[in-house]
Amino acid sequence: MDASVLLALRDPAGIPFYPVVFQALYILTWALHAAFVLLALGSMGLSIYGTFKQKDDSHWKILTPHLIQTGKLSISILIVLGVAPLLFTQVIYDPNWYVANTLSGMWVFIFIYTLLVGYILYYWYYYANKAKEGGGKLVGIVSFLVLVFAGILMHNFAVTSIMPNEWMNMYAPNGVVDTSGLTFNMDIPRLVFLVSLAIPVVGIFLQNYSRFLSTREDFSEDFVKYCAILGTKIGAVGLVISAVTFIIWMIEVGYLMNPLTIATIIGVLILLYMVYTNVNSYITTGVLVVVALLISSIRELIRFDIMTGLGYNIYDYPVNLELPSITMFLLTFVIMGFIGVAYLLTMAWKVGKTQGVFDGSKDKAVTRLGNYTLFIMSIWMVIYFGWGMVTLFKNIL
Amino acid sequence: MDIIGQFPLFYFPEYGSAWMMGMTGTIHILVSHTSVGAAMLFAFLAYKAYKENRTDLYPYMKKYGMFLLIFSYVVGSITGPGIWYTATAASPRGISALIHNFVWVWATEWVFFVYEVIGVFVLVYFIDKIDKKTHLKLTYTFAIASVGTLALIIGIISFMMWPGTAAYYATGSASDAFFGINTFPHMFLRIGFMIMMSGVIGLVISSAMKKENAELSQELTKKMGYISLFGGFVTMFFFMWYMGTLPDNAHAVFNITKGSVIQTRIILAIVFSAYFLIAILRPKIINTPIASIMIAVILLAGLWPGEKLRESMRKPYVAGQYIYSNQIISRDVEGKGIKSELPLIAQKGLLKVNPFVPERLRVITDENKLEVGELLTKMSCSNCHSLEKTGVYRPLKDRLTGMDKEGVKAILYAIGNGGMPYMPTLKLPDEEYDAIAEYIASLKY
Repeated sequence: MDASVLLALRDPAGIPFYPVVFQALYILTWALHAAFVLLALGSMGLSIYGTFKQKDDSHWKILTPHLIQTGKLSISILIVLGVAPLLFTQVIYDPNWYVANTLSGMWVFIFIYTLLVGYILYYWYYYANKAKEGGGKLVGIVSFLVLVFAGILMHNFAVTSIMPNEWMNMYAPNGVVDTSGLTFNMDIPRLVFLVSLAIPVVGIFLQNYSRFLSTREDFSEDFVKYCAILGTKIGAVGLVISAVTFIIWMIEVGYLMNPLTIATIIGVLILLYMVYTNVNSYITTGVLVVVALLISSIRELIRFDIMTGLGYNIYDYPVNLELPSITMFLLTFVIMGFIGVAYLLTMAWKVGKTQGVFDGSKDKAVTRLGNYTLFIMSIWMVIYFGWGMVTLFKNIL
Repeated sequence: MDIIGQFPLFYFPEYGSAWMMGMTGTIHILVSHTSVGAAMLFAFLAYKAYKENRTDLYPYMKKYGMFLLIFSYVVGSITGPGIWYTATAASPRGISALIHNFVWVWATEWVFFVYEVIGVFVLVYFIDKIDKKTHLKLTYTFAIASVGTLALIIGIISFMMWPGTAAYYATGSASDAFFGINTFPHMFLRIGFMIMMSGVIGLVISSAMKKENAELSQELTKKMGYISLFGGFVTMFFFMWYMGTLPDNAHAVFNITKGSVIQTRIILAIVFSAYFLIAILRPKIINTPIASIMIAVILLAGLWPGEKLRESMRKPYVAGQYIYSNQIISRDVEGKGIKSELPLIAQKGLLKVNPFVPERLRVITDENKLEVGELLTKMSCSNCHSLEKTGVYRPLKDRLTGMDKEGVKAILYAIGNGGMPYMPTLKLPDEEYDAIAEYIASLKY
């Protein structure tokens, strides 16, 4: 596609901050989103296996509902975290985002309802399994397949978006315009690799799970050990599968010798060692996050190279600096976001570690974080209304 | 080559792609308003339970919370990005304008959203696992976070109607775009509706509790009645204020259907006031089927037409009163360095400036005239009108039945000269008008 067209497709309003910041935020938030996509897929897949085992196996009887619950929470979190990379990508890559969405407009519509149906079925699966051990097998499998289909649709949008040279042929094959929005593209090695990551992710999750429960007296040592070994097996085998599929994908796109690719492979080998020895799974998770960031960076690098090759460089995007709103975001993100989420997670962690009722009012960290969160949010509201009123007075009087 | 940043066109036959967005939008509004309203109600109930040591209220909150979790968060968290996604397919440049003006506002909303999503799970699952005081504090933060998401999105959707003051065009600043004269009335109108919805959903839950605890069910049904009535009053009050802050083109559209809109709203207000009064005076009468039916009534008779009206009143614009629904920038926005595309289109025509027109259709010939006419009609009209004879979304046939080519052309000229305030003033070269008119006439409406 012609560079002049790609440049014309940028929004004439320009962007309110430096492009590199949006790019970095994209890489970061995509990695976070992907982590929960993989955890959702992995834990749900494994829970379906569990529904077949749980009647006769005391370990799976405990583990299966926990996996279902993990999947349920992960879907919610993956949705909310997924909003951020969507936001940041379309700020700097307008041509890619909007063309892919219009060319696949019908699939976009189908995607939303696929996700909706898949998640509602998931709740059905959750309740059916809660009501009866091993219940909801069929619903679980259908829900899993529906959610995987939603993932394939998302994959379609991503693949279409990095094929600028084909866009015109997709929209008007042989010069005849097709406005049906049914364009569909797949890149099998890329898809298989990304989906395969669900296996090591759920393996490492199981190691964390067993480590977390090891301090709880109401869980037997035998069960904790069983989960750790299971996590090690799944994690190690999964990492080997992912490594192979990753290499196939990198050969396909010609990035095998790229420093980022090599760094990722080294990261995977380190992960493999750490998963295999299982000394401290929390540290393993930290390395997993680094590897996820590397994979996210490679995705972005591929797109960046395609676009610069065509004469579209995001770093040349016209900047219309917009200080008040970026200040609002940064302050909200750093102050409210970190303290607020720390408050919720600290509480969740401590509740999980406690048998019976957790008295947060006697816990210094929880009380303090709660007070700060409440205070910051109230101040935030005051500033919001103050800012609004000053702006309005200035503009209408 | 002069090119404007138009994207490929996605058109859903019979209904139009904007309709698909409206469907997702309406569902989202029902659930998102319910969830913010319920968050405020949660805080109120938690306060009462804590202060008066009412342990019987916690199971209600747990039940209510579970329902909220599934109903609002599952459906709301998917349809929220869903509106954005489908709107992108239907109105790419409209969404692009919002993103490029408000990316940081949206990112800020996302921070609140993350807090809310984690918070709702913590709130519901830990209700009997943490002490009451900590739980109360949690409900307060959750309620503020929920209102925060509203506070942030409201300026963006108000901007879709218009920036509200002329300052934005000169400064291009996000705060001037965000805080227009209708932002606050719009916000409180929605807060009223949220309060009402929390009561309406609360009635479903309280009526479902009859068997387990008849006394508490009655008490809560009464309370929900009062809350809904209050919310309904706030909604009506701010609705009137909001209407007074809208631009002329919005009123031009509103005036077309004013009579029937007001009539329906009066009927709805009477029906719902009666429903809420029954809940207060005769709580025993309210049962789950009735309460559920009332939600469906709000969705179908209140929200769907209401949102359709709001969307219509924006016309001919889709965002900020500078982007037409058909994805053309129609005025300069000095502060952002944005230039109107109308002069270029009037001079060169859409076929030459749209990058996604195939080469063989860029020049009109006798052979391709109908095909070009169809493409131009889709590009210019299909965001607001379905083209088919059986089309249901503001169909062209309703306006053009029995009209020949010259008649259609006369209307196109009138539109191009700004003769209709709710239609885009879009001047095209004569050969493009001619191709559009020939295509529309060939459909023989």
